Amino acid sequence: MDPGFYLQLLLNGIVIGCIYALVAMGLSLIFGVLEIVNFAHGEFYMLGAMLAYFLTMNLRLGYAATVLVVTAIAVCLGYVLYEALLVLVQSGGFERSILLTLGLSMVLQNGAVFLFTTTPRMIQTPRSYTNVTVGDLQVSLMRVLALALAVLAFAALYLILYGTRVGKAMRGVAQSREAALMVGIDPRAVSRLAVAIGIGLSGLAGAALAPVYAVHPLMGASFVFKAFAIIILGGLGNIAGAAVAAVGLGVLESVMGGFLPLVMVDALVFSSMIAMLLVRPQGLFGRGVRV
Amino acid sequence: MRTIRLIVAAATLVALACAGLAQSQEGPILIGASIPLTGGVSTFGQHSRWGAELAVSEANAKGGVLGRKIEVDFQDNRCNPAEAVKSVTQMLAEKKYVAIFDGLCSSAALAIMPLVERAGVPFVVANASATSIAERSGVGGNKWTFKVNPTDLSMLDALVGWLDKEGKAANIAFLGEDTDFGRAGSTGLETALKKRNLKLASVDFFQKGNADFTSVFTKIKAKKPALLALYAVDADFQNAIRQWYGLGGGVPLTGRVLVDQVPKEILDSGFLDGTTSVQPYDPSVDTPGNKTFVEAFRKLHNVPPILVSFESYEAMKVLIDAIRRAGKADPAAIRDALATTKLPSLLGTVIEFDDHNLAHNNAIILTIKGGKVMVLGMSKT
Repeated sequence: MDPGFYLQLLLNGIVIGCIYALVAMGLSLIFGVLEIVNFAHGEFYMLGAMLAYFLTMNLRLGYAATVLVVTAIAVCLGYVLYEALLVLVQSGGFERSILLTLGLSMVLQNGAVFLFTTTPRMIQTPRSYTNVTVGDLQVSLMRVLALALAVLAFAALYLILYGTRVGKAMRGVAQSREAALMVGIDPRAVSRLAVAIGIGLSGLAGAALAPVYAVHPLMGASFVFKAFAIIILGGLGNIAGAAVAAVGLGVLESVMGGFLPLVMVDALVFSSMIAMLLVRPQGLFGRGVRV
Repeated sequence: MRTIRLIVAAATLVALACAGLAQSQEGPILIGASIPLTGGVSTFGQHSRWGAELAVSEANAKGGVLGRKIEVDFQDNRCNPAEAVKSVTQMLAEKKYVAIFDGLCSSAALAIMPLVERAGVPFVVANASATSIAERSGVGGNKWTFKVNPTDLSMLDALVGWLDKEGKAANIAFLGEDTDFGRAGSTGLETALKKRNLKLASVDFFQKGNADFTSVFTKIKAKKPALLALYAVDADFQNAIRQWYGLGGGVPLTGRVLVDQVPKEILDSGFLDGTTSVQPYDPSVDTPGNKTFVEAFRKLHNVPPILVSFESYEAMKVLIDAIRRAGKADPAAIRDALATTKLPSLLGTVIEFDDHNLAHNNAIILTIKGGKVMVLGMSKT
């Protein structure tokens, strides 16, 4: 095999890893602040992609504007989701939150099947079929764009968490709700904002990946399990850990896929995750440094 | 007094039974169908339903069969064998269906086969393409299953024969979904190539719903095959074809490529020029019967038929013809009538079943040239 082959596998792995990170970041943020595992996260990603399809293909909105509109709507949806549902279960135990988000996932997925059918749809932008070529390496422009959006989203989230008072408040609530309340932080407002940003990120992921993958109601399932694995690997609630774990998982998958049968890759990747958790039960970066 | 009461009760029971019998003979003839109406391949399920419904509505417009209307009870199997078994078991237990129609997915059809055999009800397969369905039917096997569409093996044999003549069969890589459909594709190609002392350059499978193919495509591309046989449908196909293009695949496709679902931009670019596909049907087939069918279908649904709609249309016509020739809505009589079918196909042949209850219709060999899909020719399967 020539070096171009290995470089192409590495490039594919980095791109898919960043795509995983984009989907996993919101999930990690919500868990970090609320300690709720949002099983409906994949469905919000799917709704983001569906909305992006509707805006670009039906309303003929430009792609850049579509990404902004979808993200803004997803943020609003996050606010509503927190106030309408999550606030009710936050203090009611982990099991109730699992049931609620699983139920929500089924309602959203089957509702989308009922309304839009499972017919796959593809977003066509003027650049949908443009490829970027460097030597022997080749990658589609829309994947590069998704990678750039993932990096931007991570940088923005990192800045919010570590460079603003709101971020400090989120980290405070994540460490101890009671202590945060004692120093004048409103945990409810902070949690609401965390859910809004988390769902906003899943909407952004949907809009970013709609020109890359087929858009259909079942598309959330293909990434959400990987996203769960990533946030566990990175340390539950640890955003930076999730990003590193996502890129690592993407590269591992790609390299394995280059040599082994594709059907074995998922099994091997999840076996590696189990082995890693046996050695470091707290994840690669642990929970101590979460948001 | 007691004797009189007994006679009255018996007479009442007989009268009720006769009324029930009369009602079942006067009501519609019921056919049960188990197809994916939801789930990942429900688009195909929808087209299968539309095709079958068109055949039924044409028959009913002519007064039905045996003086009765035909009704099809479509139940959802989500392309899942367990769901198919559940729905068909329930239908067979009700004993009011004269036949079971389709299953769409090969795994679902294979799961239905033992059920219809035990119940003694004919099963007409319209879309499922696994070769094992025919291998297990007819002589020495399941006498109640009839497969109207060609098997993967017979279609791929026709395709490989064509490719071999063109000198392109020597270096084919295979990528298919890890289902009976994909597995039958690789087995069919391997068997057809073996007959010509050739073999596949590489074989890979993916799980249905897999979104990213870049690593396996990089691996396949590095092996520099002459052709790539791609067995993927629905969203998997859309993802695969875009990613093959995004990686600059470099070689045309072959196998049962869904050429009618390739994005127009990729077709127009000429990237897939030289692609050769075998399908049981293409809407552009130039026969008078097909033109009428395409027009009627398009009028009803505003879209042209796809291979699944065609297969269900023809298979339902075969079943309706058998019920008519059986002379009664009795499953055993319908099975015997199916075995002696001789019905003209829209593809210009006559549908007849062989010893394995398999019909041998034409397969359509398609190619992409200058960004356009063309029918290269038809080949008997």
